[in-house]
Parts: sequence; structure tokens; C-alpha cells
Amino acid sequence: MKRPGALFQPVLELLAALGRRFHFLAVSVTLIPSVLGRPRSFIEQLFYLGSVSVILIAVGGLFVGLVLTLQFYSALSRFGATSSLGGLVTLALLRELGPVLTALLFAGRAGTSLASELGLMRATRQIDAMEVMAVDPMRRVVAPRFLAGLLAMPLLAGIFSAMGVLGSYLIGIKMMGLDPGVFWSSMRHEVSFHSDFMNGMVKSLIFGVACSLISLYEGFHARPTAEGVGRATTRSVVISSMTILALDFLLTSLMF
Amino acid sequence: MGHRTKNHAPVRSPPSVPGLPAPSGRTTIRLVDVHFGYGSRSVFTGLDLIVPEGQITAVLGPSGSGKSTLLELMTGQKTASRGRVEVAGEEVGSLSRRELFRLRRRMGVLFQDGALFTDLSVFENVAFPVREHTRLPEMLVHHLALMKLETVGLRGASTLYPAQLSGGMARRVALARSIVLDPQIMFYDEPLVGLDPIAKGMILRLIVHLNRSLGITSVIVSHDVPEMLETADWCYLIAEGRVQGAGSPSSLRQVTSPWVRQFVSGSAEGPVPFHYPARDYAADLFGTGRSA
Repeated sequence: MKRPGALFQPVLELLAALGRRFHFLAVSVTLIPSVLGRPRSFIEQLFYLGSVSVILIAVGGLFVGLVLTLQFYSALSRFGATSSLGGLVTLALLRELGPVLTALLFAGRAGTSLASELGLMRATRQIDAMEVMAVDPMRRVVAPRFLAGLLAMPLLAGIFSAMGVLGSYLIGIKMMGLDPGVFWSSMRHEVSFHSDFMNGMVKSLIFGVACSLISLYEGFHARPTAEGVGRATTRSVVISSMTILALDFLLTSLMF
Repeated sequence: MGHRTKNHAPVRSPPSVPGLPAPSGRTTIRLVDVHFGYGSRSVFTGLDLIVPEGQITAVLGPSGSGKSTLLELMTGQKTASRGRVEVAGEEVGSLSRRELFRLRRRMGVLFQDGALFTDLSVFENVAFPVREHTRLPEMLVHHLALMKLETVGLRGASTLYPAQLSGGMARRVALARSIVLDPQIMFYDEPLVGLDPIAKGMILRLIVHLNRSLGITSVIVSHDVPEMLETADWCYLIAEGRVQGAGSPSSLRQVTSPWVRQFVSGSAEGPVPFHYPARDYAADLFGTGRSA
């Protein structure tokens, strides 16, 4: 017969794992001022994370805009409401698809890059070398990457949505022959800066925190073996994706 | 025991660990009755060890005997489950993270594979600790890094990246990085592993040069017995969680302990078994039981 305490063991382990991640998050956040004091590494990381993801995000946004417009046009034309196309596509992009798909693409591209970089630093003892040099790896390695990831996400989501709108414009105006004035005025009429654009940006910021934290945590605590680094990289993308989808549901129910 | 000192000089009186020959002079590092293990596997079961100031101390032992773990205990990367580890008069296990970092600024560590930062050039690797710990003008950082690279003979490789270096060169760059802030204590983790005889000679010459010219207390963990007996002032042989022999290189050669004799002579026959513990061979081959 199991001890009564054993029944709660998985719950306790889950709470402990969450506690370790929140502690990691708290330390990363408290180190942000020190990163801003020496901004060079943060700027390098922001440039790196942005540059590795921007092409993927831009192309992704463009195609999502193209496909979305085709689908919406087909549905709206049945009701003679194609004049709402611009507004509808932009709302979908700003509120949902921009933040969520950007975060998923970021987790697959930049997140895995962060996790494998830190995992390899652990495996090749570069993190140990910093420790024995009396250099805090959380301050020197984790905090600049955390801040860069957190800020890169809204910027990339903005690019994703802008490219989506461009794709929608190309299909709607150039291919379907909609009036450009109607397209843009529908967008202006339907989309609110505060409740749509800003809420989308807040979502992206929160996804940025989650994605960066998970990738950095998994990489930093990777087992120092080839298998450990591979596992950390995989875990970072799986956990990030699940977290983004769960957070999206939570945030959408709170915001809209 | 374990009192703190604000000055950098070691203050311990000559060591006196019972049952061991003791090196002469002042003590920089002292381990007393240290126990440590990974889960259920014990690595140290009452280890006593003393490192004299300004000398080269070699810790020898077979693979898996815990030599690298011993260094990690000394540098505070791991904490003993029992016993005391004192470095420069400070008890490492009781230090806060801030105090530990303050102590580590007086240490240098050469890792087995160098542990160079792969995204930084050779020059940037050597300049890294200076930039992190000082606010020196860029010109002085430049001079300091180049001087250390000149010491290890790699000033000409300053623009290369770690991926472009041979194993011996990477080890020398890592050595330059670890001495750039003039540490008082140097730890070398298997400094000769994987090197050709010329590179081995270079590293050994540098270790001796740094020790003799700067008076750095040096601790080398290695299983290269002949090289260490040539280089070290004092040697420890560890196995099975304890110190099995200690003394100057010449005295170790005279020790009659079968374990020490087997290790020093590199013989396959002796108390160190060739086989990992296993159940009866015949039973494994023909018996009813199943092997793992």
C-alpha cells in the first residue's frame, strides 16, 4: 500500500519544478538593471535573435496574410460583405495570429538556438569557467538573452502582422480587385489602437517572457552531454509551444 | 579553526593531519575529514589533504578516483557533505556566494579542455576576466592580455578563434586567461590529457615557470605519474575515497605500500583490480541468472 504522502509526490514535484522556474525568472528580472548598465551584450543578443528570426517571421506573416485573405474573401463574398475584409484580416492578425504564430516560430528558431547555445556552454564547461572566474553566468549570459528575447518578440510580432496586412492587400486589391480606399478605411474603422494593437503587443511581451525563460532555463540546466543538449533543445520548443497556447487562451479570455 | 582573514596571505600553521606525512611550510589549502558523494555513490570517505603555500602539489589517482571532484570542492563548485575545506584561511563551504566570488578572484583554474568561450577570439578570451573585474582603460586591457599571451607564446594567435586552435594551443590560451589577474592559487585539471609530448613539455614548463617566478601555489590533478613526479614538490595519491600515499616525489618512489607501488610503476598487477566487480564468471556464462 502506498504511503499517503506518495500520492502527493507528483504534485509536489510539479510545484518544485514551477518554483525553480519562477526563481530563475525572478533572478533574470532582478538582473535587468545590470544589463542596461552594460548594454553591449544585450544589443548584440537583440540583433542576433532578431536577425535569426526576421526572415522566417516576415515570410510566415506574408503567407498567413495571403491565405487568410483568400479564406475570408470566400466567406465574406457570400454575404456581400467583402468591404470588411481589411478590418477582419487585421483584427485576426493583431489579436491572435500575429502574437501566437510569431511566438511559435520564435520558439522553434530563436528559442532552440538559445537552449542549444547554453546547453553547449554547459557541456563544454564555459559556464563553469565563468563561475570559477567569479563571473555570475546569470548576469553575464542569461540576463542579456532574457531581455533581448523579451523585447524581440513584440518587434517580430509587429513585423509579422505588417507583412500579413501587406499580403492581404496584395491578394485583396491586386488579385480580387477590391477598392483600396474601402480596404484601408475598413481597417481604420474596425481596429482599435488600445484594445487590439496594444493588447496584441502585451500578449507578445508575455509570450516573449515565457519563451525566453523556458529556452534559457532548459539550456542552462541541460545535462552536460550531447544527449542532454539535444533533450534540452527539444524540451524548450515543446514546453514553449504548449505554454504559448495555454497562455493565449488565458490572455484572450481576460483581454477580449 | 576556520577563522576568516581579510589579508590574502594564508595564515595556517604547519599542517598536522594525523597519519600522513606533512609538507613543510605554510598551508594554503587544507581538507579535513571530507566526505562527498553523488547520490548513493561515495567519492570521498574521510579525505585529509594539505597544500603547502608556493609549491606545486600534484594529486594523482586513477580515472574515476575523484580528482576533478576534489578540485571542485576546493573551488567551491561543490560542497562537502561532511568535513572541512579551507582555502587561504576561509572555510569554503560556509561562504556566501558573494564571499565565494571574492575568494575565487584569487584563484585561477585551468580546465581539462580549456573551456574557452567559443564566440570570443583568443585575445577577447584572455581579456574577459579583466573586463569583468576591473575598469581599466582599454589600452591597459590590451597590454595586459598581450603580455599574458606572450608568456604562453601565443601573442601571434590573438586574432584566432578557439575552433582554429590545436588542443595544446587552446590549453595555453586558457592558461593565459586564468593567470591574467595574477591569482595566488592555480588549479590545473588534467593539464596534460590528450596532448602530444611537445605540447606536454610546454605546459609543464609554463606551470613550473609560473610557480617559480610568481610564487603561485599550484594544485595539479593528473594521472600522468612520471611527469608529475618530475614536476611536483609534493604528491598525493588518492583512491577509494581517501589519500593512499603522500610525500615528496623521491619519497613516494620509496613507499612500500602495494597500492602506491602499483600506481607509481604503472603495473597491471596489484591491489587495483583490472576487473570491475562482477558475479562469478562461470555463473554468468552458463548459469541461470541473467546479466545486466
